[in-house]
Amino acid sequence: MTSLLVQPTAATPAPATTSRRGRGGALASLLRNRKATVGLAIFLVFCVLAAVPQLFTSVRDPNALSFVPSQQPSGAHWLGTTALGQDIWAQLVYGARQSLVIALVAGLCATVLSVLIGVSAAYLGGVADEALSMLTNVFLVIPTFPLIIVLATYAGKGTLLVVLIVLVVTGWSYGANQLRAQALSMRNRDFLESARVRGERRSYIIVFEVLPTMTSLILANFLGAALYSVLTAAGLQFLGLGDPNSISWGTMLYWSQSQQALQTGMPLWAIAPGACVALLGVSFALMNYAFDEISNPALRPVRRNRARRTHS
Amino acid sequence: MNYVLRRLGFFVLTLWAALTLNFFIPKFMPGSPINALRDRTRGKVSPAALQQMLTAYGFKPHQNLFVQYLNYLGDMFSGHWGVSIGATLGTPVSTLIGQALPWTLGLVGIATVLAFVLGSLIGIVAAWRRGGKVDSILPSVFVVTSALPYFWVGLLLILMLSVWTNGFLPSDFNYDNTLQPSLSPGFIGSVLKHAILPAGTILITSIGGWILTMRNNMITTLAEDYVRMGRAKGLSNRRIMYGYAARNAMLPNLSGFAMSLGFVISGAILVEYVFNYPGLGYLLYNAVQNTDYPLMQALFMLFTAAVLIAVLLCDFATAWLDPRARAKG
Amino acid sequence: MRRTKTLAVIMVAGLLLTACGSNSTPSHNSTTTNSTPDDINAPRKKGGTVTISNEQGQTWTCQFNPFNPANYLESVGFVYEPLVFVDLLNNQAETPMLASSYQWSADKKSIVFTIRDGVTWSDGQPFSADDVAFTFNLLKQYPAMDLYSLWTGAGLQSVTASGNKVTMNFSQAAQPYFFNFANQVGIIPKHIWSTGDAAAHPDTWTDTNPVGTGPFMVSPCSANNIQYVANPHYWQAGKPYIQKVEYPAYLDNGPANLDLANNKAQWGSQFIPGIKQFYLAKSANNHTWSPPVTNVAIFPNLDPSHAATSKLAVRQAIASAIDRSKVALIGEGGQQPAANQTGIVTPTFSKYYDASAVSSAGYAKPNTAKATQLMASAGYSKSNPLKLSIITITGYTDWAASLAVIKQELAPIGIDLTITPLAQQTFDDKLFNGDFDLAYYGEPGGPTPYYELRQILYSKNSAPIGKQASFNYERYLNPDVDKLFDQYAAADDATQVSLMKQIGAAMLRDVPIIPVTESVDWFQYNTTDIGGWPTEDNPYAQPSAFSVPDTGQVLTHLYSKSAQ
Repeated sequence: MTSLLVQPTAATPAPATTSRRGRGGALASLLRNRKATVGLAIFLVFCVLAAVPQLFTSVRDPNALSFVPSQQPSGAHWLGTTALGQDIWAQLVYGARQSLVIALVAGLCATVLSVLIGVSAAYLGGVADEALSMLTNVFLVIPTFPLIIVLATYAGKGTLLVVLIVLVVTGWSYGANQLRAQALSMRNRDFLESARVRGERRSYIIVFEVLPTMTSLILANFLGAALYSVLTAAGLQFLGLGDPNSISWGTMLYWSQSQQALQTGMPLWAIAPGACVALLGVSFALMNYAFDEISNPALRPVRRNRARRTHS
Repeated sequence: MNYVLRRLGFFVLTLWAALTLNFFIPKFMPGSPINALRDRTRGKVSPAALQQMLTAYGFKPHQNLFVQYLNYLGDMFSGHWGVSIGATLGTPVSTLIGQALPWTLGLVGIATVLAFVLGSLIGIVAAWRRGGKVDSILPSVFVVTSALPYFWVGLLLILMLSVWTNGFLPSDFNYDNTLQPSLSPGFIGSVLKHAILPAGTILITSIGGWILTMRNNMITTLAEDYVRMGRAKGLSNRRIMYGYAARNAMLPNLSGFAMSLGFVISGAILVEYVFNYPGLGYLLYNAVQNTDYPLMQALFMLFTAAVLIAVLLCDFATAWLDPRARAKG
Repeated sequence: MRRTKTLAVIMVAGLLLTACGSNSTPSHNSTTTNSTPDDINAPRKKGGTVTISNEQGQTWTCQFNPFNPANYLESVGFVYEPLVFVDLLNNQAETPMLASSYQWSADKKSIVFTIRDGVTWSDGQPFSADDVAFTFNLLKQYPAMDLYSLWTGAGLQSVTASGNKVTMNFSQAAQPYFFNFANQVGIIPKHIWSTGDAAAHPDTWTDTNPVGTGPFMVSPCSANNIQYVANPHYWQAGKPYIQKVEYPAYLDNGPANLDLANNKAQWGSQFIPGIKQFYLAKSANNHTWSPPVTNVAIFPNLDPSHAATSKLAVRQAIASAIDRSKVALIGEGGQQPAANQTGIVTPTFSKYYDASAVSSAGYAKPNTAKATQLMASAGYSKSNPLKLSIITITGYTDWAASLAVIKQELAPIGIDLTITPLAQQTFDDKLFNGDFDLAYYGEPGGPTPYYELRQILYSKNSAPIGKQASFNYERYLNPDVDKLFDQYAAADDATQVSLMKQIGAAMLRDVPIIPVTESVDWFQYNTTDIGGWPTEDNPYAQPSAFSVPDTGQVLTHLYSKSAQ
């Protein structure tokens, strides 16, 4: 699943057009992009839900079986209650936290790993590059989801940590490949040459000279990895390989499926958490695509008057 | 030739790594097929008899691990995949895979190829008519669809086209159980009807990616000098679009397609699970649930080999079509 | 989704009955010949089809070897038949099948079966005592096929045929194993199994086209559906009435339940969530009757290394605090009855149950005040709660729901319960080796409560922590209770009842396990066209499609109304 979408959207190898403008420039252009703003808005809404869920529901323990089971939506229960007697809206609100944590932590760790491996491979070159790229390629090609299922089933039933580790281990290789390609293209640029001539240490050059120029690609990679993590984690939990006690959207889906929510007239129980996973995924994907557009201006939407010309 | 050898080396190494992982991960994790079978028979059958039974089917847990590993590697390559020791105890793994493979190939394979072809075509057209009405909304729409979870789209389709319509379209299984497999129109119709929803799910979630990549590649290519040159020469639009731009824009997409096969398998597991479709993905899920080592190992080997072969073929194809790639390695 | 592994408990058979004397069964007469109000045994005309809906989670392998534990449920009962059928739900009433009668020796170490005349295999060959002796001797030769450890555990010494008699000799009194060797072993034809592949590897032989004496034959089988057709050579004259049985493969409960609700399938054997609304309300002809057979219980770790759970007051507090009917209602959707602290499953085994002992021990109703007090005596309170973890199996969603209710009920008395769902494999390892505080689990049972409780409580079924116990996972060691079990096998019926009541009293006194709900034999049936189902009033066999060889009994009782 998942990676499929990460892959193509991020696939355009961001050409080495990135200037040395640094972070501020990338952010500013991000804010000017409409897709990015929509994505960012969705993301922020979920952040608020995750940070202060108690503002949005009066329920304090969303997994407690405190209500009459299987109620249809009403004023008291906006989305109804589950077959076990939990408020669906409350679960949805509280569930935001885990999904966000998984997305951000797994996305971050995977990105750090990609940067470490990808950039060092490119910069070190020679045998180190051969070995690291081989490693990257092996991880890139091994079908990860079956591997994840095997791992998650046997690793004592995914506690959050297990899920995170599995996501990072399987999620870094794509970014590493891309970052290596980009770093390679920069190896012989003038500003790096001059740094070398200045006698800077290798680590200094990598951290302070190479990385800043790659900010937008790294950010795009982070978003891709976060998207991959959200969807994969939800898929795992949906299959029942997560922690059934946790409050998360994937776990809600698992319960709704096992109680046959669709067939027993409680479609919201299954559809609502799925929609949240989808929305969070969409927000990452929109921001990610926006980065592509920023780093490759040719992709941006064109105005009508320019359009005429192309039709010639 | 060096290039070919390097790629083959990569192929062997990756396959070996995947096979090794797959051998050792389940072996070092808790659980044994005997206990799994004990649970399936609800403690009714004596563990000693189960142990004997599994031994009769070729399960030798007390053998030296290294010897087991070597035997395993040998068996994987020679096609002696053994006999299932899980819920399908006693059925040759090759039979199980043989039963499931056509369904996965037929459903997931065709849907994926369809998504790729359709997506690429739409992408080409969108890039060509850049700035048109379609192109202005298209990227946003497909960024959204490509981020949707497989299983959620599946559930939504089941809800709308099966539950709400009172079973208008079947939401599970590969064909109507009351029919015997044959080439009769009734049977084929049933197979097709059962494939609509799962295939629709795969199409909806995967087509967006192809459209976007193709559109982006195409736009980049259209800005190249040789396309301008073609225009200047007064070639027909059609010629430029397909003969010049699309051909080259397709190249990176092709290797993307090979890579995506692995993800197709992942998607297949979730789609087959949601729609109870008895294909390879479903088989793997069951094998893992039942600690069925031989089945698990053979399936994983197949998945990895399929992706690797696809990548390899695409590499060679690209190298053949585009000499520059050869130099890059 | 998938595994709403609502535990289909059924199983019968105390297998590892290591020490046992003889046992006197009430009667050797067939009780099923007695007429019942709706006259279930009246002759019927032939015709009609029954479709079974029983989720398997996989497609069919089309193997019918009755000794392959992964698929014998589809062959025993349908195709292969036992010597004598024993009805667990009706005080072990016996129906002679391939043996028309039998005689124990006085010391119960030897039994002689008289083999029924006029039985033919479905290929037309005559059936004889030789086939029976061949079957049992094959089990000796291939221990993998000896699923009930007859040669290794029960002390079977020899099986010989002479004329129409088959004699089995044991090294010890073997009455408790009657249920296994007479009721559960399907008899196979010598003329098929002594040639070719079957003879070379009978334990792994696929047996794709099974030849048996049973009411049905396989024709044809595909991955998606097994179709059985009536055996024209069947020895019970005029039976089976039903001419065809369809057994489709279901990968998930959802579609299986849907087919039941729509009467596309008539015989259901799985959990249906919201059964009132989604099954019973769909048609006046949809019925359900799921008789309880065993317990689902909290197994506390009694080993002294587990300080809290080995403390009696804590266990008593848990047993007092839990509102079992609420657990049954919410966790099991009201489809499983509440259990009681004696561990005697009611109403199935009511005659062994002592209701007054339960109320005088204070376990008739949940009592939070008493539980709080008990916890206080152990040094815990709501402000200083005891932290306990309970392990359960992931995917058993009804159990998870039940535990959620239990967790809530234990919170006010000062127990902070953490529910730890584990993969089946991990769960097994921890449970068998005693690596848990509390475990939620159910064990197989048998034709009397003796079988289940002996497994759970008998000290020889236990093992030190870190070693695999066979059934006594909580590690209950009580020589007095062992003695009660030892006496049971040799006792007469009245004494057996009294012994079981004493064992129930030990359950009340020591609280070795805490039964919460009773697991049931899932069964739904549709009467639009099909009659003759087992019912609460006439429980002539265990009703679910996964109870063998009971399926054979049900199949020979069913008839099509439209064919009459």
